[in-house]
Amino acid sequence: MSLWHRVRMFCRKPHNLILAFLFVALIVLTFLPLLSIVLDTFTVHTSEVMRIRGSHAGDWTLYHWRKVLLDGENSMAIFYKPLWNTVLISLATCAIAIGFGGTMAWLITRSNIRFKGFLSAIFVVPYIMPSWTLALAWLNFFRNSLVGGVPGLFTVLTGIPTPNWFAYGFLPISIVQGLHYAPFAYILIGGILKNMDANLEEAAQLLHATRWQILRRITLPMVKPAILSTFLLAFSSSMSAFAVPAFLGAPVRYHVLTTQLFRTLQGLNPGYGYLMALILILIGVGIMLINQKVLDNRKSYTTITGKSSNISLFNLRALRTPLSYGLGFLLTCVTIIPLITFAVESFIVEPGNYSWSNFSTVFWVGEGATDIANGEPGVLRNRSIYNGLYNSLVLSVLCAFFAGTIGILAGYAIVRKKGTWLSNAVNHLTFFPYLIPSMAFGAIYLSMFALPRGPIPALYGTFSVLVLIGTVKYLPFATKAGVNSMLQLGGEIEEAGIIMGIPWWKRMVRIIMPIQKTSILSGYLLPYISCMRELSLFILLISPSSAVLTTMLFQYNEKGWNQYANAINLLIVLVVLLSNWIINKLTGASIDKGIG
Amino acid sequence: MKKTWKKSLAAALAMGLVVMLSAGCGGGDAKKEAAKDTKASAGKIVQLKSEKEADLLAQAKKEGSVKVYSITSRVSKAGAAFEKKYGIKVIASNLKDFELIDKISTEAKAKAEGTDLVICQDSGRVYGELITTGYLQNYVPADLKSVIPEANQSPLVFAYMNKVLVYNNENGKSAPVNNLWQLTEPNMKGKFFFKSPMQEGINANFLTMLTKEENANKLAKAYEDLYKKPLKLTTKNAGYEWIKMAFQNGLVMGPSDTAMTESVGVKGQNLTAIGLLNYSKLRYAEKKNLAVGTADKVTPFAGFYYPEYVMLVKDAKHPAAAKLFVQFLLTKEGFASWSKDMGTYSGNETIKVAKGDKPLAEWQKVLVGDDPQYIFEHRAEVEEFISKFM
Repeated sequence: MSLWHRVRMFCRKPHNLILAFLFVALIVLTFLPLLSIVLDTFTVHTSEVMRIRGSHAGDWTLYHWRKVLLDGENSMAIFYKPLWNTVLISLATCAIAIGFGGTMAWLITRSNIRFKGFLSAIFVVPYIMPSWTLALAWLNFFRNSLVGGVPGLFTVLTGIPTPNWFAYGFLPISIVQGLHYAPFAYILIGGILKNMDANLEEAAQLLHATRWQILRRITLPMVKPAILSTFLLAFSSSMSAFAVPAFLGAPVRYHVLTTQLFRTLQGLNPGYGYLMALILILIGVGIMLINQKVLDNRKSYTTITGKSSNISLFNLRALRTPLSYGLGFLLTCVTIIPLITFAVESFIVEPGNYSWSNFSTVFWVGEGATDIANGEPGVLRNRSIYNGLYNSLVLSVLCAFFAGTIGILAGYAIVRKKGTWLSNAVNHLTFFPYLIPSMAFGAIYLSMFALPRGPIPALYGTFSVLVLIGTVKYLPFATKAGVNSMLQLGGEIEEAGIIMGIPWWKRMVRIIMPIQKTSILSGYLLPYISCMRELSLFILLISPSSAVLTTMLFQYNEKGWNQYANAINLLIVLVVLLSNWIINKLTGASIDKGIG
Repeated sequence: MKKTWKKSLAAALAMGLVVMLSAGCGGGDAKKEAAKDTKASAGKIVQLKSEKEADLLAQAKKEGSVKVYSITSRVSKAGAAFEKKYGIKVIASNLKDFELIDKISTEAKAKAEGTDLVICQDSGRVYGELITTGYLQNYVPADLKSVIPEANQSPLVFAYMNKVLVYNNENGKSAPVNNLWQLTEPNMKGKFFFKSPMQEGINANFLTMLTKEENANKLAKAYEDLYKKPLKLTTKNAGYEWIKMAFQNGLVMGPSDTAMTESVGVKGQNLTAIGLLNYSKLRYAEKKNLAVGTADKVTPFAGFYYPEYVMLVKDAKHPAAAKLFVQFLLTKEGFASWSKDMGTYSGNETIKVAKGDKPLAEWQKVLVGDDPQYIFEHRAEVEEFISKFM
């Protein structure tokens, strides 16, 4: 065969083209940034000239490495202790997320618990809401006066002062993040449980296996890949989470790597920051490798074969009613109460005074009084807030569209060429952005795209750079969804189409997509929602005209204009819930029904 | 089939490499250029020619608009007034101090069109990173040369602001301390509020200034006055020692001065809290029903004051409009959005301070000032020192 012939053969298969294209694009968009981080750890940055005596911006230096890793007491304070805290928090978060989310997934798909629709819908709300929502609510409730200021609602109501270990630091951060990421476990594990061929369990039942045996020998091994995916997702997410540790850790100076990253990147020594980012990435890669060792990738299960039936549900018996109501109550508290407190806070003028006379609509519809917040018009009359809302929506839709579409195609191509070098490489590359902490990712794109690079023009300050980074950053979600749904799809379904001579695009649009409609839609929804409530990824890249709601929220919060911050927070949550509801009504799919 | 794969892979890799190399080269050039810029004009402030309002007007109107990055949000109000007077639109963006510095240096290197004008703070960094590199240029309006004191002209000071010790004075309570060292005592543990120096450059500047010899000496003397014995040093000087002891005494680092003013001043809690906070935030006190008073008798310092510079950006796209706006900001009319409230003192000292406030000269007696050169050279050291206690 001539080379030309081989190339033509290669190009005739759409999945080959997809893989080749993705490979090149991802090298540029994810591998190069990594290279750029590495270089940045050896470079003197403009703001470090005063730190590193006699140096000039752009010089080569080992200063950052020496200071962060080998400088005794200093290194301990700025790096090793925060690293240890990060690891502890991430592990605790994973345990809570998998335990809670997995149990919930099992209860919904396999037991006769009541109010399934309601529980399922409300369970994912903490994930839909920005992660700091729960953190702020925790502070509103359990804040104590040991660290200055007014005690929280809990102390006001009960008279019991909360100890520091309960109000701040490790415990609340783990709980809040665990609740926030539990829907990962719920969606991933639930997805497999729901789509799993019930014949397997029925067969076991026919062979008189006990419930416990079925769970242990069939169900758990089937969901093992999902549990590990959840672990990977939740670990890397909480490792690179910034807002929650910033809010709950700062009062007791409990630092994690991301809060250190923020401090150093924004402050005087970005070199430290890049080095810490690099280390965070290395840890992430390490976890991924371990994960792969444990879980042999080839051992996948075809769980959708084109037919499915319903398995009889596990009877919770006496536990059914108390469990249903208990869970319903708990989840309602976790989701609704924060929203109520934010709504209330957005009407309060004098802090801490909840009497009716202190309520005012000035922060919503006022023209802006100079003695309250610098004459800033109320949220509903504020042009810049509408602009932010518009930007948020456009950005989220674009990111979701690009990430979702690329994700499906990537999933399709990866699964079709499973086991080949290229397929594995693309699979890993698409996951890579997940391992880069958002803030570091933003910083890298800032430095990478501030200047024209080869065919790419200077994107600094443009809206496109936000779309680009959002798309790349959320590709892992979409690709995961794509790969998972394609893995479940037996090859014979498409093969039937091939034999009938149906062209590729028609096979995709008429066969594959309709079958996996819901999980594909979840591949669009996850990026959409993540983007709506993303903060740290965009915070370094926005220019005032491209500001989005979350960055505005952060700015208002930093200024201490709580009412505006709370109102925008509510606005974000409502927009997301509303879009989720509309998509649900139009297509039948939603985040919670990513399961089916 | 296997071989095909390898070939195609090699091709893909080669493509990747080409892109990578071209990207890499671009970065190198930019960095070299930036370094050259730094050396060329090091230590000098680029001065633009002073012009009269009348000579700028026609050109400014032709330009039609001017972009401003500002650390004070009230600039948009001033912008609206400017537009009303001259018909020139002001597009104002409110940024935090370090954000503004990062943006200006990134945009200058990228030659991206970001802004024409800045109102910035954090003298040490602005001086070292933006002024000596020539990214920001100084412009003094000819019409105002005689009324703006020499000291405020290079770089041109838009206004000074101050942060002073603020305490809860409900029911006429007096200040809980009258000497800075009392903030390091056990009964003030967790009661002293100060925004994280890592979040706001000016706060880091203040701490840096405490370590300067003259200020450290005053601190040492205040210690002796209070405890009738000399201070035993475990660090370089009394400035460092105070920082260490204050941080170790449970210093509360709140998210913003506005929020901390509320935490300090909330009524009905019998609080003994005190904070080193932006004096201008006291304007919210009445509406929000806060009990806040200033502890301006504290020795040796009751806080600090710092300059906000107004400067043009190198290669500004709307230079005439920018110059006109600079002039406007330094007149009584342009300063109207600030002059009603305490805590902001125009660089043009003929503009009177707000009712109930003291002139800056009075404040300067009890507050620490900035020395940009000292800050630029020593802040890194102080930040590293602090990071051990954070």
